[in-house]
Amino acid sequence: MPDFQPKIVAFVCTWCTYAGADLAGTSRIKYEPNVKIIRFPCTGRIDFMFLLKSFAYGADGVIVSGCHPNDCHYTSGNFHARRRWIVFRELVDLLGMDINRLCFSWVSAAEGAQWAEIVNSFTEQVRTLGPYKEYRELAEKDKK
Amino acid sequence: MEKPRTGVYICHCGTNIAKMVDVQAIAEDMKDTVNVIITRDYKYMCSDPGQDQIIKDIKEFNLNRIVVAACSPRIHELTFRKALQKAGLNPYLFQMANIREHVSWVHTDRAKATKKARALVSAAINRVNYHEPLIERSVDINPATLIIGGGISGITAALEIADAGKKIFLIEKSHKLGGHTAEIDLTYPYFYSAQQLIKPLIERVKNNKNIELFLETEVKEISGYIGNFETIISSKNTDKIPCLPAGRKLTFGNIIVAIGLSPMDPSPLKNYGYGKFPDVITSSEFENMLLSGNIIKKNGNIPENIAIIHCVGSRNNDYHDYCSRICCTVALKYANQLRSALPKANIYELYADMRSMSKGCEELYTETSRKNIMFLMFDQRNDLPEIKKGNDKSAPLIIEMNEKLSGETIEVPADMVILMTAMEARKSAKEVAHSTGVSLCGNHFFIEKHPKLDPVATTTGGVYIVGGCQSPKDIPDSVSQARAAAARILGVIVRGTAKVSATAAYINSSLCCGCQMCLSICPYTAITYDEEKKVSVVNEVLCQGCGTCVALCRPKAINIYGCSHIQMMTELSALLLSD
Repeated sequence: MPDFQPKIVAFVCTWCTYAGADLAGTSRIKYEPNVKIIRFPCTGRIDFMFLLKSFAYGADGVIVSGCHPNDCHYTSGNFHARRRWIVFRELVDLLGMDINRLCFSWVSAAEGAQWAEIVNSFTEQVRTLGPYKEYRELAEKDKK
Repeated sequence: MEKPRTGVYICHCGTNIAKMVDVQAIAEDMKDTVNVIITRDYKYMCSDPGQDQIIKDIKEFNLNRIVVAACSPRIHELTFRKALQKAGLNPYLFQMANIREHVSWVHTDRAKATKKARALVSAAINRVNYHEPLIERSVDINPATLIIGGGISGITAALEIADAGKKIFLIEKSHKLGGHTAEIDLTYPYFYSAQQLIKPLIERVKNNKNIELFLETEVKEISGYIGNFETIISSKNTDKIPCLPAGRKLTFGNIIVAIGLSPMDPSPLKNYGYGKFPDVITSSEFENMLLSGNIIKKNGNIPENIAIIHCVGSRNNDYHDYCSRICCTVALKYANQLRSALPKANIYELYADMRSMSKGCEELYTETSRKNIMFLMFDQRNDLPEIKKGNDKSAPLIIEMNEKLSGETIEVPADMVILMTAMEARKSAKEVAHSTGVSLCGNHFFIEKHPKLDPVATTTGGVYIVGGCQSPKDIPDSVSQARAAAARILGVIVRGTAKVSATAAYINSSLCCGCQMCLSICPYTAITYDEEKKVSVVNEVLCQGCGTCVALCRPKAINIYGCSHIQMMTELSALLLSD
């Protein structure tokens, strides 16, 4: 499905990955327009319910990205995010969702190029998987 | 809560946004969104007329929510919040959509970029409906300041603050003060003695009763936040000058990072043969010779053919992409000092581009070029000179190079070669960045809060960066930054309080089940348990607003101002459902 434009939402912390995405901008690095960012103070703030909701609202893929281990502005929020992520990943797998629709990464304020790289490779990965329909259909049924 | 009346402003940023995003179309499309009263697009929203328009509209249309789609909120969120404040509106009834750094500068398809920008603007408009007026908290400032690094920058800042009567803890890793300035002979462009500059400053530091000096001391962990930091220091040195028993606790309100930089080891650049040829030396080694007053080769003889090679490791894709900024002028200084010491010697400057840009430095270049010094240009990107063994006794080294201006391949005879090595970040930068909570750029220099408007502050409140640790710089620039940071800190000390973000967690006690899981996860011990009511309570002064407890809380009893469940959920749904 080469023309498929996946909808991807990225949950990022303001100190590292958001700043890294800003740096990609100031460096004029070009990347795919499919990823939209939501800014959080810290990855520790990211309630993983947001990730499930993303799929219900029509996302085909989700990125979570924050500061590298030991670089958290709040000292340890990213470690809590990582622990939650490990549990969440298992849960998603158990639910029968393809975990390749999820991406967890560390991008620092200095890594503009890495951010562009993650966006491009993950967009390609989700594009290969195609649109994510299952959860959305369930959510639609739920509404009715 | 009164019904939201939202004003939406889409910035062109000159052509920065407008050329890749159809700003007019977005302004038009958003007109019919629920609660939107007015939409506008404008050349530069951050300019005075742009802000005045917002203020005027707030008054005229009785707006109570503002959305600006422009650059990154990390740049202008504060600007627009102040505009709201001016119009009498709480500054937190505002949301920004980043359509420059995250859209127009990174995408190439105008239709797709516009679609993405529209989704971001729509998300901001929907989210702002749930914004509440917030009150910025204020914290008391401990008037003491911690300065890490006792070079010219650290010393200058210490004296500036201490002379105003405020306490300084000055921490230096080595056994002496003065940093690089204490290790150089003359300064450019006016040939003042560096020793005469630094020695009186060091004396003043030692005699200043407000400065407590810790030599051979390193800072490991710093805890706290603006106004209220603390650290425990331990020193190897307990007998020399005023060092103190191991493990003393220091408390302070502000931090200046002044750890400086290091000269690069040129050994990896094999073409220059450093380490292989004993008379190929680094600029620091030559500076030592100048200080000792003895310009001699390894065999004890006086050199006759001296070559100075620029850009060793700087502006070089394999080592450091950046320009080290001071080496060209230092090289000119060397040529002058060599000419005075050895009137008959042949002196060669092998340069890539001559960048002697500070005040008085271009003049030094002109003056130097009249002193019978040979200037030869090489191609830094593709064609570096190579040092080889020569046969001649007066020229045991031969530098083979393609001279760029003449286009000829030449051999420069030399018996001493000085390598102008790059200036690089300290090895300890990462550790200091971690303990002070400041980010590093890709080259491991510290990142300032704003590259143009706030060059000595950092995104961590109460932490300032000065001198070479921010980027390579010379003495006057380091001193300017040091005094700037000192002035900023004195300003905060005089006020006695500092505003901190209004983003803080709060607990709905009727939902709290008293599990106390949030207590153990809070990095600031801002949550306590009320034994009587059997619920957790947040201390809003200690809370830094990370929100980790919010995501953890099972019964969803904890929420956070500025990043609440409803705000984030609304932003998410609008972002995905709008396209």
